[in-house]
Amino acid sequence: MNSLNITNLSKTYANGVKALNNVSLEIPTGMFGLLGPNGAGKSTLMRTIATLQEADEGTITLGDLDVLTQKNEVRKVLGYLPQEFGLYPKVSPELLLNHLAVLKGITNKKERREMVKALLHKTNLYDHRKKNLGGFSGGMKQRFGIAQALLSNPKLVIVDEPTAGLDPAERNRFYNVLSELGENTIVILSTHIVDDVKELCPNMAIINQGEVLLKGNPTKTIEKIEGKVYQKTIKKNELEMYKQEYKVIAEKLLQGKPVIHVLSDHNPGNDFIPIEADLNDVYFSQIFG
Amino acid sequence: MWYEIFKFEIKYRAKRPDTYIYFAIVFLFSLIAVNFIFEKGLNPVKENAPYVIAFTMAVVTAIFTMITSMIMGVAALRDFDHNMESLMFINPIKKKDYLLGRFLGSFVVLLFIYSGLLLGIMLGEFMPWRDTDNMLTFNLWHYLQPFLYLVIPNLFCGGVIFFISGALSRKLIVVYTQGIIFFVLYQITAMLTKGRIDAPFFVTALDPFSFQTINTIVRFWTTTERNLTMVPMDGLLLYNRLIWVIIGIVVFIVGAYKFSFNVVRDKGSKKKSKAFKNKEKKSLQEDIEIPKVNIRHDIKANFIQLKHHTFFYLRSILKEGSFLAIVLCGIGIIFINSIDLGNIFGVNSYPSTYLVIEELQEMSMFFFLILLVFYSGELIWKERDVKLNLIHDSLPISDFINLTGKFLGLLLMYLILIVVLIVSGIVFQISKGYYQVDLVNYTVGFFGEIFPFLMLFSFISFFFQTICNHKYIGHLMVLIFFIVTLALLILGFNHGLYSFGGGDLGTYSDMNGYGHFPLSYSLFKVYWIAICMLIFIITVVFSVRGTETQLKKRLKLGQLRLNSSLIKLGTVAMFIFITTGCYIFYNTNILNTHFSTSTKETYKANYEKTLKRYEYLPQPKIVDVNLKVELYPKERNYTAEGYFILKNKHNTNIKEIHIQKLANDDVVLEDVYFNRGVSISNEFEEFSYYVYTLDQPLVPGDSLKMEFKQTYTTKGFEGDNQSNTQIVYNGTFFNNDHFPTLGYNKSYELKDNNTRRDYGLSPRITKAKIDDPKELMNGRSGGDGYKINFEMVIGTEADQTAITSGTLKKEWIEGDRKYFHYKMDTPMINFYAVVSARYEVKKDQWIPKNDSLGDPVDLEIYYHKGHEYNLDRMMKSMKASFDYFSTNFSPYQDHQMRIMEFPRYETFAQSFPSTVPFSEAIGFMMDIDDEKDVDMTFYITAHELAHQWWGLQLVAANVEGRHMILESLAQYSALMVMKQVYSEEKIQQFLKGELERYLSGRTSERKKELPLALVEGQQYIHYGKGALNLYAFQDYISEEKVNLALRRFIRDWNGFNGQLQTDRYATTADLLGYFREVTPDHLQYIIMDLFETITLYENKTTEARYTTISKDQYRVNLTLDAVKYRIDSLGVEKSISINDWVDIGIYADGKNGKDKLIYLKKHKITNQITQLELTVNQKPTKAGIDPKYKLIDRKTKNNVLSFSE
Repeated sequence: MNSLNITNLSKTYANGVKALNNVSLEIPTGMFGLLGPNGAGKSTLMRTIATLQEADEGTITLGDLDVLTQKNEVRKVLGYLPQEFGLYPKVSPELLLNHLAVLKGITNKKERREMVKALLHKTNLYDHRKKNLGGFSGGMKQRFGIAQALLSNPKLVIVDEPTAGLDPAERNRFYNVLSELGENTIVILSTHIVDDVKELCPNMAIINQGEVLLKGNPTKTIEKIEGKVYQKTIKKNELEMYKQEYKVIAEKLLQGKPVIHVLSDHNPGNDFIPIEADLNDVYFSQIFG
Repeated sequence: MWYEIFKFEIKYRAKRPDTYIYFAIVFLFSLIAVNFIFEKGLNPVKENAPYVIAFTMAVVTAIFTMITSMIMGVAALRDFDHNMESLMFINPIKKKDYLLGRFLGSFVVLLFIYSGLLLGIMLGEFMPWRDTDNMLTFNLWHYLQPFLYLVIPNLFCGGVIFFISGALSRKLIVVYTQGIIFFVLYQITAMLTKGRIDAPFFVTALDPFSFQTINTIVRFWTTTERNLTMVPMDGLLLYNRLIWVIIGIVVFIVGAYKFSFNVVRDKGSKKKSKAFKNKEKKSLQEDIEIPKVNIRHDIKANFIQLKHHTFFYLRSILKEGSFLAIVLCGIGIIFINSIDLGNIFGVNSYPSTYLVIEELQEMSMFFFLILLVFYSGELIWKERDVKLNLIHDSLPISDFINLTGKFLGLLLMYLILIVVLIVSGIVFQISKGYYQVDLVNYTVGFFGEIFPFLMLFSFISFFFQTICNHKYIGHLMVLIFFIVTLALLILGFNHGLYSFGGGDLGTYSDMNGYGHFPLSYSLFKVYWIAICMLIFIITVVFSVRGTETQLKKRLKLGQLRLNSSLIKLGTVAMFIFITTGCYIFYNTNILNTHFSTSTKETYKANYEKTLKRYEYLPQPKIVDVNLKVELYPKERNYTAEGYFILKNKHNTNIKEIHIQKLANDDVVLEDVYFNRGVSISNEFEEFSYYVYTLDQPLVPGDSLKMEFKQTYTTKGFEGDNQSNTQIVYNGTFFNNDHFPTLGYNKSYELKDNNTRRDYGLSPRITKAKIDDPKELMNGRSGGDGYKINFEMVIGTEADQTAITSGTLKKEWIEGDRKYFHYKMDTPMINFYAVVSARYEVKKDQWIPKNDSLGDPVDLEIYYHKGHEYNLDRMMKSMKASFDYFSTNFSPYQDHQMRIMEFPRYETFAQSFPSTVPFSEAIGFMMDIDDEKDVDMTFYITAHELAHQWWGLQLVAANVEGRHMILESLAQYSALMVMKQVYSEEKIQQFLKGELERYLSGRTSERKKELPLALVEGQQYIHYGKGALNLYAFQDYISEEKVNLALRRFIRDWNGFNGQLQTDRYATTADLLGYFREVTPDHLQYIIMDLFETITLYENKTTEARYTTISKDQYRVNLTLDAVKYRIDSLGVEKSISINDWVDIGIYADGKNGKDKLIYLKKHKITNQITQLELTVNQKPTKAGIDPKYKLIDRKTKNNVLSFSE
């Protein structure tokens, strides 16, 4: 499978919200991070790639496939974990995985059993395989979600905000599973957490208000602002003043006191300390810069 | 606080479109509700009579129970549905306020929606299609009263139950199930009150919709009462309403107490999740490799997927608690109901397979429909309901397989239930000791009838669920579709090609099986399945996948789904649809003529308008019939060839002979020859009416010979309910109506007066006045014969026996055909039947006790093999009847009497000269328990045999009162025969049924009730009241005296050798003359009461005391209250002074716990209140006035009172 090409994709909802505005991306195999704040249009883009939503304009191709028209062909190689989903409460994970596996085309019983077993182990659900899904915690549900997305050796995996609501340990486990996916797989991970992308993705794009602000390799994008980020601890009431005077790209609290990052080609002085730029700074510089 | 929630609820609902949709549905339906519910018309009860409005409102409320459940059930469920409960319940609201606010808010919305009922039904009064002639003037209170008393309590109680069940269960399906429980209760009450004169109080009080309550109250109301009186809000109805309002309040209180704000409240699941946590140990297998799998998407894989999918959904339905609840309710109902299997005249039939199937079909249909509507919705919405849809929709499975899997899952569920039904049917049969289980019959009845029906409607349900994309609106649309389908049928749009799911499998009969129906039936089903396949393809194309739900977008997406296999399937379906459609059309409309209701009506109206002028044109009478009839049962054809001799019985010349051929395209009258010069006019060809002008007129007393040949040819098949069931494979039965008749045929006229008015015809005179000179000369309605000589040869297939009237002179075989030659030894009336079937025969002979009673009579019963159950009863009845009738009336005129069984397409027995065709549905299959049942087989046989005297010896003029002579005298005669053989209790039991028949029959009289002696043909009068009053008559003046009068009547008026040789036929005026002759002076008044007027009584015992004088002497003191009513000429009931002889009876304890009558004597009652003192020699238990209900009394229960000492 080659790459996923998104060209000039636009989508406006019936209520007038412009969810995607002329989005173009080329997504190669490997992990691809789609970073953006809530409401940036990430899920819309993901659903459109996952054949579940129509675009007003533009094209998406996966290798030779036209994603917008050859939906069923795309689905054959697709693994999708939506941002929000539910499960039949009165069914066990084993049964539901088995059911989904059949529908995905794993019609050989033995293969299916092996696959379901492996994925249950992989997602640490094996001990709960006979329980009803109704009693699952958020983390277990999410793990089940990833298990079903991997059922058919997919070539294209789309995971939409998978780590929301997971504790750090579960998040790590989740990453491990994702990162193991072979090199031949396109994995698109949408998130609003910068660390997710930093840890996993060789490629990424930042998207806000339906537009792609930046695309590239996280390290390379960091290099671009390397040496331009300065930090200072300030008082609360000074924030507005700094915002007017400097290009403030991030503000956070450190032990209760506001700390700001500014972007500047030269050292602004005034007690600003130069710091090593990270992806967060890239992200915030794109969003707020 | 609650007020805030209340306000919020109303505001929320006010913004929701469904509130207005529901309002519109209720409103629009209410506009037509009266016409829909009383589709058969109400005349002469006015369409806006108070009782009609009340009943309509109750029905509409019941029909829309679903809306009530949607509005109220959802009120408390909504927060859970939208996962809002955590946000809602942490607010500082009190539980009471929350529930009260929500409930009242929703209830107000519900009242708003149902105000559509009030408005709709009121406005309906002024709709253009309503006829002011059938309406009273508008009266607001007639609408408000039932709305306040019936609708609002129903809504309240239903609302509470739905609201609370929603709040407690948090599941919509549980709410729906509550609705089903309502219907189950209603069905139980309906069943327990069916046909009972004294329904138990608790039953009527418990009906949640109060249908039975209203029906019980108005049961014996006459037309006038129905038009004038409002259903009173007291007694029964008041209790009923109170009970349900109290139930509502109790449910609310208990429910509110049980309701809890906890988000997780199920203790079981709490424990479970705890257990989960403890077990969360790492079974570190995370480094396991994900194996490689083969992904297949070929045909085989598709099949595996489809199978898997199907069973997945089937399992998901079967696991639902609600499913089990519905099924258990259904089985419960069926079990209770089957007790009344095939009940005819109060006697159950043997549980033959077809009866069990019909019962199961009827009973289970309602539950199947519920399951269909609910679970098709559940399946379509299954993924979206749990929000699994995004995952599910991105699976590489085609929409076709996805929907088909769901569909097949649903069908499999039906199949399982059907198997359960069949098994329980068989168990039922065996438990009744009946072992002739017919598996083929079960298979056809369920898999051939019920299953295709469910399948077709499931397709429709899937379609609406998909197109509406709203589960509840989808449910409602299916319901509306169903109602519209029924309504169109009722309106006369009855062709199976456009009436949804058309096709008619006819009635199953042991004799004829499914007959000729299966071919056309299966073609119709194939045709509809093909249509539904096309609908299903549309459903697939429009089904929602992903997040796009706008219809326009779905259409665009759907175009992508139209892959080659779907198009191929569509083409095949289209091909089948067109070919079967054309073939059916060719058969029903080209080979045969299809009559819609209106074309039929137009034809009849035109017939009357064109030809009525010939009604009394003098025509010769048939005096000789000689025919050779060749029956071809396999082809369902016949030919008839022979001659009639026609004689001029008038005193004027006859110039024209008018021949009416049966108006049926299958009948062709080929060659008609007269032995005179004639010229024929085809002017009225379209009515199959031909005028032959004689070159030389037929002078009085002269006769001529008319030869003719007629064929009946069945061509292809006909549309629903139009196929002839008279000439069939096994069990042919038709009468001389098939052969040419003379002159205008009144039986073609439109009968319903409303329809007649639509066609500009004046109301029909059912029977001519008792002194109408023209009809006094007419012996049989439309009869053309006069003392005919009859001879017929019938040929049929070799394994069948063909029978008609007369002595069998010869019987022979010619090739593969068998011939029978019958000849009547004495003249008879022009009324004969042709019957042919594969028969067994039972023979016997009646030997008269002495010579004066006539010659011996050969008795024969031709029956279908396996139907031997009641042959002995029939035989016994025939002998007893001949004994009694020949002794008391006159000798029998023929030498044989044959009973012939015919298929259950019709359910009657009919007396022809020396033959009685007897339907297999009555008599033959009755399972008579002599302990508790009346031997109806015996009774019906005696009744039919009595017609050999009343109708075949004594011919009654075709005027008012004719049916009293024919039917009431037959009822009396049969009762007297029964009295010879059976006990007094059996007679009482029978008469109780007749009292019920009369009292309920008179309430639905469409014109005006007439006295018995002037009856026009109303069965409740000539059968019901006839039996009651003639029985009372013989009780007053003695059986001997009645028989003496009848003997004189038949002696003088016998149509063949009567002593009075008049040129007219007998009437009730003549009969009552003979009655007067034998009635003593002091009882002459009863002739007027019983026969000449409509007289009713309200007799009751208000006080009954006794004192012990000695061990064998008891003084009894009774206070009696007797009122006598007379219906005047306007139909108004008035009380009149009483001066009558009435039975007074006293009971004591008899053997084995039964009551024993120790005193029964007629006392003259002259005042409304009467005190009586009597002495008896046994300790009395109860006593009263008219204890055996000889007088007609609407409340019989209060006639007798138990003693207080």
